[in-house]
Amino acid sequence: MIKSYKARRIISNTIIYIILAVMGIVWVSPLAYLLLHSFRAEGMSTVPYLIPKSYSFENYINLFVNTGTLNFPRWYLNTFIVACFSCVISTLSVLMVSYAFSRLRFRSRKKFINVGMILGMFPGFMTMIAIYYLLKAMGLSQTLVALVICYSAGAGLGFQISKGFFDTIPRALDEAATVDGATRNQIFWKIILPMSKPIVVYTVLTSFIGPWTDFILCKLIMGDKVDNYTVAIGLQKMITQEFIPTYFKQFLAGSVLVAVPITLLFLKMQKYYVEGVTAGGVKG
Amino acid sequence: MKKIIAGVLAVMMMATAFAGCGEQTPANGGATGDVAGDESKTSSDVELFGEEDNISLKVWGPDKSVDLLKRQCDAFIKLYPEKKISIEVVAQGESDAGTQLLNDATTAADVFGIPSDHINKLVRAKVIQEVAFADEVKANNSETIVEDATRDGVLYAYPETADNGYYLVYDNTVVKEGNEKKLETVLEDCKAAGKKFIVSAGDGFYSCMFIFTAGLKTDGIEDDGITQKFTDYNEDEVVATMQAFSKLFHEYSTTFQSLSADKIPSGFSTGVCGAGIDGSWNVVADQTALGDKYSAAKLPTITVNGEDKQIISMFGYKFIGVNAATKFPRAAQILANYLTGEECQLQRAEELGWCPSNNVAAQSDLVKNNEAISAIREQAENSVPMGNVVQQFFEPVGNLGNQLIADKTDPSNTDYMKELLKETLQNIKDV
Amino acid sequence: MKYIDYKQLNPFQKFAYNFTDFFKKLPGRVVGFFKAIGRFFVKLFTGIGKGVANYVTRFIKGDFAVKLSYLIFGFGNIMKGQIIKGLLFLATEVAYIYFIITFGWDNLSKFGTLGTEVTQIVSDGPFKKTIWGHNSMLILLYSVVAIAVTLVFLFIYIANTKSAYKLQQLKAEGKHIMTFKEEIKDFLDGKFHITMLSLPVTLIGVFTIMPLIFMILIAFTNYDRTHMPPGTLFTWVGFDNFADLVNVATGGKKGVTFIELTKWTIVWAVFATFTNYILGMVVALMINKKGIRLKSLWRTLFVITIAVPQFVSLLLMNQMLQVDGAINILLSDIAGQTVEIKFLNDTALLARATVIIINCWVGIPYTILSASGILMNIPVDLYESARIDGAGPIKQFTKITLPYMLFVTAPSLITQFVGNINNFNVIYLLSGGGPSTEELYQAGRTDILVTWLFKLTMNQQDYDLAAAIGILVFIVCATLSLITFNLSKSMKDEEAFS
Repeated sequence: MIKSYKARRIISNTIIYIILAVMGIVWVSPLAYLLLHSFRAEGMSTVPYLIPKSYSFENYINLFVNTGTLNFPRWYLNTFIVACFSCVISTLSVLMVSYAFSRLRFRSRKKFINVGMILGMFPGFMTMIAIYYLLKAMGLSQTLVALVICYSAGAGLGFQISKGFFDTIPRALDEAATVDGATRNQIFWKIILPMSKPIVVYTVLTSFIGPWTDFILCKLIMGDKVDNYTVAIGLQKMITQEFIPTYFKQFLAGSVLVAVPITLLFLKMQKYYVEGVTAGGVKG
Repeated sequence: MKKIIAGVLAVMMMATAFAGCGEQTPANGGATGDVAGDESKTSSDVELFGEEDNISLKVWGPDKSVDLLKRQCDAFIKLYPEKKISIEVVAQGESDAGTQLLNDATTAADVFGIPSDHINKLVRAKVIQEVAFADEVKANNSETIVEDATRDGVLYAYPETADNGYYLVYDNTVVKEGNEKKLETVLEDCKAAGKKFIVSAGDGFYSCMFIFTAGLKTDGIEDDGITQKFTDYNEDEVVATMQAFSKLFHEYSTTFQSLSADKIPSGFSTGVCGAGIDGSWNVVADQTALGDKYSAAKLPTITVNGEDKQIISMFGYKFIGVNAATKFPRAAQILANYLTGEECQLQRAEELGWCPSNNVAAQSDLVKNNEAISAIREQAENSVPMGNVVQQFFEPVGNLGNQLIADKTDPSNTDYMKELLKETLQNIKDV
Repeated sequence: MKYIDYKQLNPFQKFAYNFTDFFKKLPGRVVGFFKAIGRFFVKLFTGIGKGVANYVTRFIKGDFAVKLSYLIFGFGNIMKGQIIKGLLFLATEVAYIYFIITFGWDNLSKFGTLGTEVTQIVSDGPFKKTIWGHNSMLILLYSVVAIAVTLVFLFIYIANTKSAYKLQQLKAEGKHIMTFKEEIKDFLDGKFHITMLSLPVTLIGVFTIMPLIFMILIAFTNYDRTHMPPGTLFTWVGFDNFADLVNVATGGKKGVTFIELTKWTIVWAVFATFTNYILGMVVALMINKKGIRLKSLWRTLFVITIAVPQFVSLLLMNQMLQVDGAINILLSDIAGQTVEIKFLNDTALLARATVIIINCWVGIPYTILSASGILMNIPVDLYESARIDGAGPIKQFTKITLPYMLFVTAPSLITQFVGNINNFNVIYLLSGGGPSTEELYQAGRTDILVTWLFKLTMNQQDYDLAAAIGILVFIVCATLSLITFNLSKSMKDEEAFS
C-alpha cells in the first residue's frame, strides 16, 4: 500500500511514460522502417533483416534522373499545383457553406443540412464513371483542371466541423455589426473569417492532403495521359507487377518525399488543427 | 540524296515483302477462295489503305517496349512513303489497357497490347475490332495461339508474344544439375542449402497448376459467354494430385513459401531464395539478381501415387488488338499486323527477351539459344491457354492454393480435399 | 421528471439524467423519423399543388406584360424597367432552348428505351468497320443532365413569372422598384445565403448529385456484363435487380456470402469505430494528464502517421505482415528462431484481428487530436461534484469522462461508424479481403460489403447488382445518421452561444 499521494503519482506517471513511449515507438516504427529502407542501397524489393546494411541516395536520385516513363518530378509538380488550387476552392466552399448554415437563417436550411450530411454516404467508386463522362462532356478529360474540380467539388459537404466552429462564435457580434450598418457580406469577411483561423487552417490542411493520396479516381480521369499523372498514381504504378522488382526502393523514397512536406505542414499547423477540430467536434 | 536512298530502300523492302507473299499465295488463295484479286493483298500493299490518308494513330505498349515500338513504328511509316502517317507511342501496361478501353474506347489507343484473358470482355463490349488479316495470322502462328484469340470462329487479335506464363527459375549452385526435373528434388536441394522455394500459391494464375496437373483443365466457355467449361476429369486423380502437392508443401514447410512473384528476384538478390516459379516478365530481374547462377527450366514433375506427372501450368499469349472506335480502321489493322510480323517479333526477342509467337521467329537460333525463352516455350507445351478462362476463375482457385498450403489443412484428409474441389468448381461456375 | 426537479439535481446527476434520457427516447425518435419522411412527402405534394394554383392565378390576375412573360422570359421585368434582370431571364430561356435542341432532346427522347440502334459491324473489303449504335450509358447520363437542367430552368421560369407579377403589384401600389444595382446589393446582405451557397451547391449538384442519381437509376437497368455499352444496349428492368437481391440473400452461395459479409461489416464497423475511439481517448487522457511532460512530443509522434498517404502506409503494412515481412523478422529475432505467422492469410480470426489492430494504427491519431481538445472542455464542476460523492479516478472516468465524450461526440461517432461501413481503403489495400475461403462467393474473410461490391464490378462488370446493393447500404447508413444527428445536442443546441 502506497500511502504518499506524491509517490503514487510518480508511479502512475512513470507507468504512463512507459506506455506512451512504447506506443510511440510502435506508431513511429513503420515510418522509421520506411525512411531507413528508402536509403537502402542493397537488395531489390525486400530484405530479410530490419536494418539496411548500406545506405545511399541512389533511390532518391533515380526518382529525379530516370524520368523516362516514371516522371516523378513532373508528377510531384502536378500534384502540388492540383493540391494548391483544390485547396483554395475547397476551403472557400467549406467556409461558405458552413457560414451559411451556421449564421444565416433561410427557408429549408435544415433540409439542406440533412441532405448535405447523407450525400457522402453512397459508395463513391460507383459514381466515378459518371463523373468521368461529365468531365469529358465539358471537354476537360485528362486535364489537371478536371482533377482540381473532382477534389474540390464535393468539399462543401464537409461542412459539419466548421459549422460547429462557427456555431460557437457568439451571435451578439453579428448583431452589433448589423446595428453599425454592416452587411452580412462584410460580417463574413471582416468579422467571422479573421476569428476563424483554426478552422481555416484545419480545412486547408485536410483539403491539401487529398490530391496526394487518391489514385483510383485520378487514374480513371487521366487514362494514358502520363504527363498529367499525380504522385499517387506514380507510386501505385511503381508497385505493380511490371515495376516492383526494380522500383520498390524508389517507391519508398517517393513516399518519403510525399510525406515530408505534409508532415512539416502538420507539425507547424498542429495547434490550429487541434483547436479547429475540437471546437468543431464538440458541437458538430 | 537521302530521299532517294530512302525511296530505294522502301521499294526494296516492299519488293521483298511481295516476294514473300508471292510464295504463300497459292496456299492461301486456295483455302479462302475470296474474290479474285483480294488474295494477293497482304498488309504490305499500299492500296489497302483505301481512302485513308493523313493518318494519325496511337499505340499502347508496356513501358519496357516503348523505345522499340517507336523504332518499329518509324520503320512502318517509311514503308508507305505515299501516305502521311504519324504514330504516337504511349506507355500503358497491358493489364490496364483492357480496363481503359472499356471505360472509354474513344480516348484509348488505336492499336494496343493486351493479355489474352482480356479478350472476352472486350469482345462482349464490341470495342475490339476483328482481325482483317486472319489468314496471314493463321498461317504464321500455331493453332493454339490463334485459338486463344478466336471467339465464335472470329479472330480478334494479332498474336504478339508467346510468353505470358511461368517457369522454374533457380540458383544453379543450390539446385544440382538434373534435380530441376522433379519438384521433390528441387525442394530437397533448397532445404539442404537452407534456402526458400517461392511460389505464389494463393494466386489463381499459379495455383491452377494444382488441378491442371491432374487433368482437370479449363475448356472454353459455355454458349452464354460467361460460364466456364471444364474438360472431363477423374475426381480421385485430381484429389490425389492435390494431396500430393499439399503433402509436399507441408513436408517442406520451412522451405516452401507462398509469396508474390516479385519476392523471387528480391530473394535471389539477398540469397534467401534458392528456386521459385516465376513469371516471364521477371526474367531480366531474375537474371540481374542471380548473374552466372541463373538457370531456367520448364516446370518440374511431381510424384503422384508413384507416377511422375509433368506440372501443367496456365499459359497466356499477348496480343495486339485494334480499337473498334479507331478513326483509321484500315491503317490500324495494317500497323497491328506489321507489329506482330516476324521481323518485329525477332527484334523484341532480341532486345526484350520476349518469346515470339510467330512460327518462323520461334525457330530462330536467337530464340533457341536463350535459356529463359526455351524454358518458357517448353512449358508452353504443357499448359492450358488462359484466353478462355473466365474472370471468376481466379479467386476460387487462388483459395484452393491457399487451402492446400494452410497449416491447418491435413494433406491426408481425402474427404476435405474432395469437398474443397467441389466448392471451388461450384464457385467458378456459379455466376 | 419535472423541470423543477431537474433544476435541483447536481451537475453530475443532471448529466446522467440527460445521458439515459438520450437512449430512452431513441426508439420514439426512430418512429418519428419515418413519420417525418411521410410528412415531407405530403408537404411536397401539397406544395406542388399550391404552386400550380398560384401559377394559374398569377396568369389570370396579371396584366399583358405578366401574361407575355409566361412565354417570353423577363418581358414583365423589361416592361417595368428592370431591364438587366429581364434580359438575364431572357438569356436563360434562349440558352435553355439552345441546349435542348442541340443536346438535351436528343438524349431525353431516348430516355424511355435507353437507345434502340444496335452497334453493327460491317465488312469493308478484308476490313471490318464498326457502325456505332446508341450508347445506353451516355443516354442515361446525359438524360440525367438534361432533366437536371430542365428542373433548374423550371425553377427560373416560375421565379420569372413571380417576379413579373410582383412588379405589377408593386407598381400598382406605387412602391419603389429595385434597380439592378440594389438587387446585387441585396445578394450581399438579405439574400447572402444564396450568394454563399450557389457555387458549392452547383459543384455538388453537378459532381455529386447527378452522378448519384445516375448510379441509382443504374440499379433499375440491366447494365451487366452481357449488356455492355458501347457494343450492346441495356434497358430498364424495373425492380428486377432488387428481386434478384432477395433471391441472392435467401439462397445459394451468393446469399450466404451477402449475409456473412453483412455480419462482418457490422462487426468490423463496431470494432473499428470503438477501438479507435476508446484507445485514442485513453492515449489522449494520458498525454493530457496533469504532470505529464513533453505533451507536444507525444502528440507529434502519433500525428506524423497522418501525414503519410494512407495507401502508402497500408501497402507498407501489408508488406510487413507477410511471412517474410518485417514483423515476422522482428519476432524471429526476439524468439531466436524462425517465426512465420501468416497474419493476413491464415485463420479468419487472426486476419480480422490484424485488420482491426492496423486500423487502430491508422485511426487513433485522429481521435487523439480531437479528444485532446474535448477533454479540456469537460466542465470542471462535473468532476468536483463527483469527488464530493466519493468517486475515485476510475469511477470518474467511467461515470464522467467516458459518458461525456460519448455524449458530446455521438454525431461524429456515427459518421465514423458509417465511414467504417464504407471503409474501402483499409480492407482493400491491407488484406485485399483475404484470407480466402471456399465458403464465400468471390470474397474472403475480411471482405466487407463495399470491397465485395468493388470486386464484383471490377471482375464481372455487374453494375446493376452493385448499384442495387449500394442503394441498400446507403439507405441504412443515411437513416442511421439522420436520426442520430437530429437527436443530438449539436442540432438542438445550435444556438446555445447565440
